[in-house]
Amino acid sequence: MKQCIACGMPMKSVEDFAMGDLEKEYCKYCCRPDGTMQSYEEKLNSLTNFIVKTQGIDEKTANSAAKSMMAKLPAWKTE
Amino acid sequence: MTKEISKNIISIKSLSNKSTKGDKVLLETKRQKQKKLTRKHLIEVAIVQFGENGIIATRTADIATVANVSHGTVFAHFPTQEELLISVIEEFGNRISQRLHELINTNSSLFEVLEAHITGLIEFEPFYTRLIIERRLLPESVCNTYIMIQSTISFHISIAAEKEIEQGNIRKIPIHLIYNTWIGLIHYYITNGDLFSHNGSVLKQYRNELLEHYANIISK
Repeated sequence: MKQCIACGMPMKSVEDFAMGDLEKEYCKYCCRPDGTMQSYEEKLNSLTNFIVKTQGIDEKTANSAAKSMMAKLPAWKTE
Repeated sequence: MTKEISKNIISIKSLSNKSTKGDKVLLETKRQKQKKLTRKHLIEVAIVQFGENGIIATRTADIATVANVSHGTVFAHFPTQEELLISVIEEFGNRISQRLHELINTNSSLFEVLEAHITGLIEFEPFYTRLIIERRLLPESVCNTYIMIQSTISFHISIAAEKEIEQGNIRKIPIHLIYNTWIGLIHYYITNGDLFSHNGSVLKQYRNELLEHYANIISK
Protein backbone atom coordinates (compact mmCIF):
# COMPACT_ATOMS: atom_id res chain seq x y z
CA MET A 1 0.00 0.00 0.00
CA LYS A 2 1.12 3.53 -0.73
CA GLN A 3 2.68 5.46 2.11
CA CYS A 4 3.09 9.21 2.28
CA ILE A 5 6.72 10.03 1.49
CA ALA A 6 6.74 12.89 4.00
CA CYS A 7 5.15 11.33 7.07
CA GLY A 8 4.78 7.63 6.37
CA MET A 9 1.03 7.54 6.84
CA PRO A 10 -0.69 4.80 4.82
CA MET A 11 -2.88 6.24 2.09
CA LYS A 12 -5.80 3.86 1.64
CA SER A 13 -8.55 5.93 0.05
CA VAL A 14 -8.73 8.94 -2.25
CA GLU A 15 -9.40 11.33 0.65
CA ASP A 16 -6.06 10.38 2.24
CA PHE A 17 -4.13 11.73 -0.73
CA ALA A 18 -3.14 15.40 -1.03
CA MET A 19 -5.91 17.27 -2.86
CA GLY A 20 -7.60 13.87 -3.35
CA ASP A 21 -5.14 13.23 -6.15
CA LEU A 22 -4.11 9.57 -6.45
CA GLU A 23 -0.99 10.57 -8.38
CA LYS A 24 0.40 12.51 -5.44
CA GLU A 25 3.12 10.93 -3.29
CA TYR A 26 2.12 12.76 -0.12
CA CYS A 27 -0.94 12.80 2.09
CA LYS A 28 -3.47 15.45 3.05
CA TYR A 29 -1.69 16.20 6.32
CA CYS A 30 1.56 17.03 4.50
CA CYS A 31 -0.14 19.20 1.95
CA ARG A 32 -0.10 22.99 2.00
CA PRO A 33 -3.26 24.95 1.15
CA ASP A 34 -1.83 25.57 -2.33
CA GLY A 35 -1.32 21.83 -2.90
CA THR A 36 2.47 21.67 -2.61
CA MET A 37 4.19 19.43 -0.09
CA GLN A 38 5.30 20.93 3.21
CA SER A 39 8.99 21.70 3.67
CA TYR A 40 11.24 19.78 6.07
CA GLU A 41 10.99 22.50 8.72
CA GLU A 42 7.21 22.70 8.40
CA LYS A 43 6.86 18.94 8.64
CA LEU A 44 9.29 18.65 11.55
CA ASN A 45 7.36 21.31 13.43
CA SER A 46 4.04 19.71 12.65
CA LEU A 47 5.22 16.24 13.65
CA THR A 48 6.77 17.51 16.88
CA ASN A 49 3.51 19.22 17.81
CA PHE A 50 1.63 16.06 16.90
CA ILE A 51 3.72 14.01 19.31
CA VAL A 52 3.34 16.58 22.07
CA LYS A 53 -0.42 16.79 21.54
CA THR A 54 -1.00 13.04 21.42
CA GLN A 55 1.24 12.04 24.32
CA GLY A 56 2.20 15.14 26.29
CA ILE A 57 5.86 14.27 25.81
CA ASP A 58 8.62 16.85 26.42
CA GLU A 59 9.10 19.00 23.31
CA LYS A 60 12.83 18.35 22.90
CA THR A 61 12.29 14.61 23.08
CA ALA A 62 9.38 14.86 20.67
CA ASN A 63 11.54 16.84 18.26
CA SER A 64 14.27 14.21 18.46
CA ALA A 65 11.83 11.41 17.77
CA ALA A 66 10.29 13.31 14.87
CA LYS A 67 13.71 13.96 13.32
CA SER A 68 14.68 10.34 13.68
CA MET A 69 11.46 9.14 12.07
CA MET A 70 11.65 11.61 9.21
CA ALA A 71 15.23 10.60 8.40
CA LYS A 72 13.87 7.21 7.33
CA LEU A 73 11.27 8.61 4.93
CA PRO A 74 11.79 9.00 1.16
CA ALA A 75 11.03 12.72 1.16
CA TRP A 76 13.73 13.54 3.69
CA LYS A 77 16.38 10.86 3.21
CA THR A 78 19.80 12.41 2.56
CA GLU A 79 21.74 10.32 0.08
CA MET B 1 16.97 -23.19 -0.72
CA THR B 2 19.76 -23.98 -3.19
CA LYS B 3 17.74 -26.92 -4.53
CA GLU B 4 14.86 -24.62 -5.37
CA ILE B 5 17.10 -22.19 -7.18
CA SER B 6 18.79 -24.91 -9.21
CA LYS B 7 15.40 -26.38 -10.10
CA ASN B 8 14.40 -22.95 -11.35
CA ILE B 9 17.58 -22.55 -13.37
CA ILE B 10 16.87 -25.86 -15.09
CA SER B 11 13.28 -24.95 -15.86
CA ILE B 12 14.25 -21.51 -17.13
CA LYS B 13 16.96 -22.95 -19.36
CA SER B 14 14.60 -25.54 -20.73
CA LEU B 15 12.24 -22.81 -21.86
CA SER B 16 14.77 -21.16 -24.09
CA ASN B 17 18.13 -22.00 -25.52
CA LYS B 18 19.52 -18.56 -25.05
CA SER B 19 21.00 -17.77 -21.65
CA THR B 20 20.14 -14.12 -21.62
CA LYS B 21 20.10 -11.17 -19.32
CA GLY B 22 16.37 -11.95 -18.84
CA ASP B 23 17.21 -15.20 -17.09
CA LYS B 24 19.64 -13.44 -14.80
CA VAL B 25 17.02 -10.83 -13.89
CA LEU B 26 14.48 -13.58 -13.13
CA LEU B 27 17.01 -15.33 -10.93
CA GLU B 28 17.75 -12.11 -9.05
CA THR B 29 14.08 -11.55 -8.36
CA LYS B 30 13.82 -15.04 -6.91
CA ARG B 31 16.86 -14.38 -4.77
CA GLN B 32 15.39 -11.08 -3.64
CA LYS B 33 12.15 -12.87 -2.81
CA GLN B 34 14.03 -15.45 -0.79
CA LYS B 35 15.91 -12.71 1.02
CA LYS B 36 12.64 -11.03 1.90
CA LEU B 37 11.16 -14.29 3.16
CA THR B 38 14.19 -15.04 5.29
CA ARG B 39 14.12 -11.55 6.73
CA LYS B 40 10.44 -11.89 7.57
CA HIS B 41 11.07 -15.30 9.13
CA LEU B 42 13.88 -13.93 11.28
CA ILE B 43 11.69 -11.10 12.51
CA GLU B 44 8.91 -13.56 13.40
CA VAL B 45 11.34 -15.72 15.32
CA ALA B 46 12.77 -12.66 17.06
CA ILE B 47 9.32 -11.51 18.19
CA VAL B 48 8.72 -14.88 19.82
CA GLN B 49 12.21 -15.14 21.32
CA PHE B 50 12.11 -11.61 22.72
CA GLY B 51 8.73 -12.41 24.21
CA GLU B 52 9.85 -15.65 25.81
CA ASN B 53 13.32 -14.76 27.02
CA GLY B 54 13.41 -10.99 27.12
CA ILE B 55 14.91 -8.54 24.66
CA ILE B 56 18.28 -7.80 26.20
CA ALA B 57 18.84 -11.45 27.05
CA THR B 58 18.28 -12.66 23.49
CA ARG B 59 21.41 -12.84 21.35
CA THR B 60 21.38 -12.90 17.56
CA ALA B 61 22.96 -16.34 17.87
CA ASP B 62 19.84 -17.58 19.71
CA ILE B 63 17.67 -16.31 16.89
CA ALA B 64 19.84 -18.06 14.35
CA THR B 65 19.47 -21.33 16.23
CA VAL B 66 15.71 -21.17 16.56
CA ALA B 67 15.27 -19.92 12.99
CA ASN B 68 17.45 -22.76 11.81
CA VAL B 69 19.81 -20.57 9.85
CA SER B 70 23.48 -19.78 10.22
CA HIS B 71 24.56 -16.90 12.39
CA GLY B 72 26.04 -15.41 9.23
CA THR B 73 22.60 -15.30 7.67
CA VAL B 74 21.23 -13.31 10.58
CA PHE B 75 24.24 -11.03 10.41
CA ALA B 76 23.70 -10.47 6.68
CA HIS B 77 20.19 -9.19 7.31
CA PHE B 78 20.88 -7.45 10.62
CA PRO B 79 24.51 -6.42 11.16
CA THR B 80 23.80 -5.40 14.73
CA GLN B 81 21.52 -6.44 17.55
CA GLU B 82 20.14 -2.91 17.47
CA GLU B 83 19.15 -3.08 13.81
CA LEU B 84 17.33 -6.33 14.44
CA LEU B 85 15.52 -4.82 17.38
CA ILE B 86 14.49 -1.74 15.38
CA SER B 87 13.18 -3.93 12.57
CA VAL B 88 11.19 -5.99 15.02
CA ILE B 89 9.67 -2.95 16.66
CA GLU B 90 8.87 -1.38 13.30
CA GLU B 91 7.17 -4.62 12.29
CA PHE B 92 5.17 -4.54 15.51
CA GLY B 93 4.25 -0.91 14.82
CA ASN B 94 3.14 -1.69 11.27
CA ARG B 95 1.07 -4.68 12.33
CA ILE B 96 -0.71 -2.96 15.14
CA SER B 97 -1.44 0.04 12.90
CA GLN B 98 -2.78 -2.33 10.30
CA ARG B 99 -4.95 -4.00 12.91
CA LEU B 100 -6.38 -0.66 13.94
CA HIS B 101 -7.02 0.29 10.32
CA GLU B 102 -8.81 -3.02 9.79
CA LEU B 103 -10.97 -2.88 12.88
CA ILE B 104 -11.93 0.78 13.00
CA ASN B 105 -13.03 3.60 10.74
CA THR B 106 -13.91 7.25 11.12
CA ASN B 107 -17.31 6.32 12.56
CA SER B 108 -15.99 4.06 15.30
CA SER B 109 -16.84 4.90 18.87
CA LEU B 110 -14.08 5.46 21.41
CA PHE B 111 -14.96 2.15 23.02
CA GLU B 112 -14.49 0.37 19.68
CA VAL B 113 -11.10 1.98 19.15
CA LEU B 114 -9.92 0.97 22.61
CA GLU B 115 -11.23 -2.54 21.99
CA ALA B 116 -9.26 -2.67 18.76
CA HIS B 117 -6.18 -1.45 20.59
CA ILE B 118 -6.38 -4.24 23.16
CA THR B 119 -7.04 -6.77 20.42
CA GLY B 120 -3.90 -5.65 18.64
CA LEU B 121 -1.82 -5.76 21.81
CA ILE B 122 -3.03 -9.25 22.73
CA GLU B 123 -1.53 -10.55 19.49
CA PHE B 124 1.86 -9.30 20.62
CA GLU B 125 1.44 -9.49 24.33
CA PRO B 126 4.63 -11.36 25.32
CA PHE B 127 6.78 -9.13 23.12
CA TYR B 128 5.02 -5.92 24.13
CA THR B 129 5.35 -6.84 27.79
CA ARG B 130 9.11 -7.19 27.46
CA LEU B 131 9.33 -4.02 25.40
CA ILE B 132 7.69 -1.82 27.97
CA ILE B 133 9.52 -3.41 30.87
CA GLU B 134 12.95 -3.10 29.24
CA ARG B 135 12.45 0.07 27.23
CA ARG B 136 14.50 2.36 29.49
CA LEU B 137 17.51 0.10 29.01
CA LEU B 138 17.26 -0.12 25.23
CA PRO B 139 19.00 2.10 22.62
CA GLU B 140 17.65 5.56 21.81
CA SER B 141 16.61 4.50 18.34
CA VAL B 142 14.16 2.11 19.94
CA CYS B 143 12.74 4.92 22.04
CA ASN B 144 12.11 7.07 18.97
CA THR B 145 10.30 4.29 17.13
CA TYR B 146 8.30 3.53 20.26
CA ILE B 147 7.23 7.17 20.55
CA MET B 148 5.98 7.22 16.97
CA ILE B 149 3.98 4.04 17.45
CA GLN B 150 2.29 5.36 20.57
CA SER B 151 1.51 8.66 18.86
CA THR B 152 -0.13 6.84 15.98
CA ILE B 153 -2.33 4.84 18.34
CA SER B 154 -3.13 7.93 20.37
CA PHE B 155 -4.13 9.71 17.18
CA HIS B 156 -6.68 7.04 16.31
CA ILE B 157 -8.05 7.26 19.83
CA SER B 158 -8.18 11.04 19.64
CA ILE B 159 -10.32 11.06 16.51
CA ALA B 160 -12.99 9.01 18.25
CA ALA B 161 -12.57 10.84 21.55
CA GLU B 162 -12.92 14.29 20.05
CA LYS B 163 -16.17 13.27 18.40
CA GLU B 164 -17.56 11.92 21.65
CA ILE B 165 -16.52 15.06 23.51
CA GLU B 166 -18.36 17.10 20.92
CA GLN B 167 -21.43 14.91 21.32
CA GLY B 168 -21.26 15.41 25.06
CA ASN B 169 -20.78 11.70 25.84
CA ILE B 170 -17.42 11.94 27.56
CA ARG B 171 -15.63 14.48 29.71
CA LYS B 172 -13.66 17.19 28.03
CA ILE B 173 -10.13 15.96 28.68
CA PRO B 174 -6.98 16.87 26.68
CA ILE B 175 -5.99 14.21 24.16
CA HIS B 176 -2.68 13.36 25.79
CA LEU B 177 -4.37 12.70 29.11
CA ILE B 178 -7.09 10.61 27.51
CA TYR B 179 -4.30 8.56 26.02
CA ASN B 180 -1.93 8.47 28.98
CA THR B 181 -4.68 7.46 31.37
CA TRP B 182 -5.66 4.54 29.12
CA ILE B 183 -2.11 3.44 28.38
CA GLY B 184 -1.15 3.89 32.02
CA LEU B 185 -3.94 1.54 33.05
CA ILE B 186 -3.06 -1.03 30.41
CA HIS B 187 0.66 -0.89 31.11
CA TYR B 188 0.14 -1.33 34.83
CA TYR B 189 -1.70 -4.57 34.26
CA ILE B 190 0.81 -5.74 31.68
CA THR B 191 3.97 -4.97 33.63
CA ASN B 192 2.48 -6.58 36.73
CA GLY B 193 0.97 -9.45 34.79
CA ASP B 194 2.49 -11.96 37.18
CA LEU B 195 0.28 -10.56 39.95
CA PHE B 196 -2.93 -10.40 37.97
CA SER B 197 -2.77 -13.56 35.93
CA HIS B 198 -1.00 -16.79 36.63
CA ASN B 199 -1.33 -18.29 33.21
CA GLY B 200 -0.57 -16.09 30.28
CA SER B 201 -2.53 -13.25 28.76
CA VAL B 202 -3.38 -10.68 31.38
CA LEU B 203 -5.02 -8.52 28.71
CA LYS B 204 -7.37 -11.31 27.66
CA GLN B 205 -8.37 -11.91 31.23
CA TYR B 206 -8.97 -8.27 32.18
CA ARG B 207 -9.98 -6.89 28.82
CA ASN B 208 -13.65 -6.33 29.60
CA GLU B 209 -13.07 -5.04 33.10
CA LEU B 210 -10.54 -2.47 31.89
CA LEU B 211 -12.66 -1.31 28.97
CA GLU B 212 -15.76 -0.94 31.11
CA HIS B 213 -13.92 0.80 33.92
CA TYR B 214 -12.27 3.28 31.60
CA ALA B 215 -15.50 4.00 29.73
CA ASN B 216 -17.13 4.51 33.09
CA ILE B 217 -14.67 7.05 34.41
CA ILE B 218 -14.47 9.22 31.32
CA SER B 219 -18.18 9.27 30.56
CA LYS B 220 -20.19 12.27 31.56
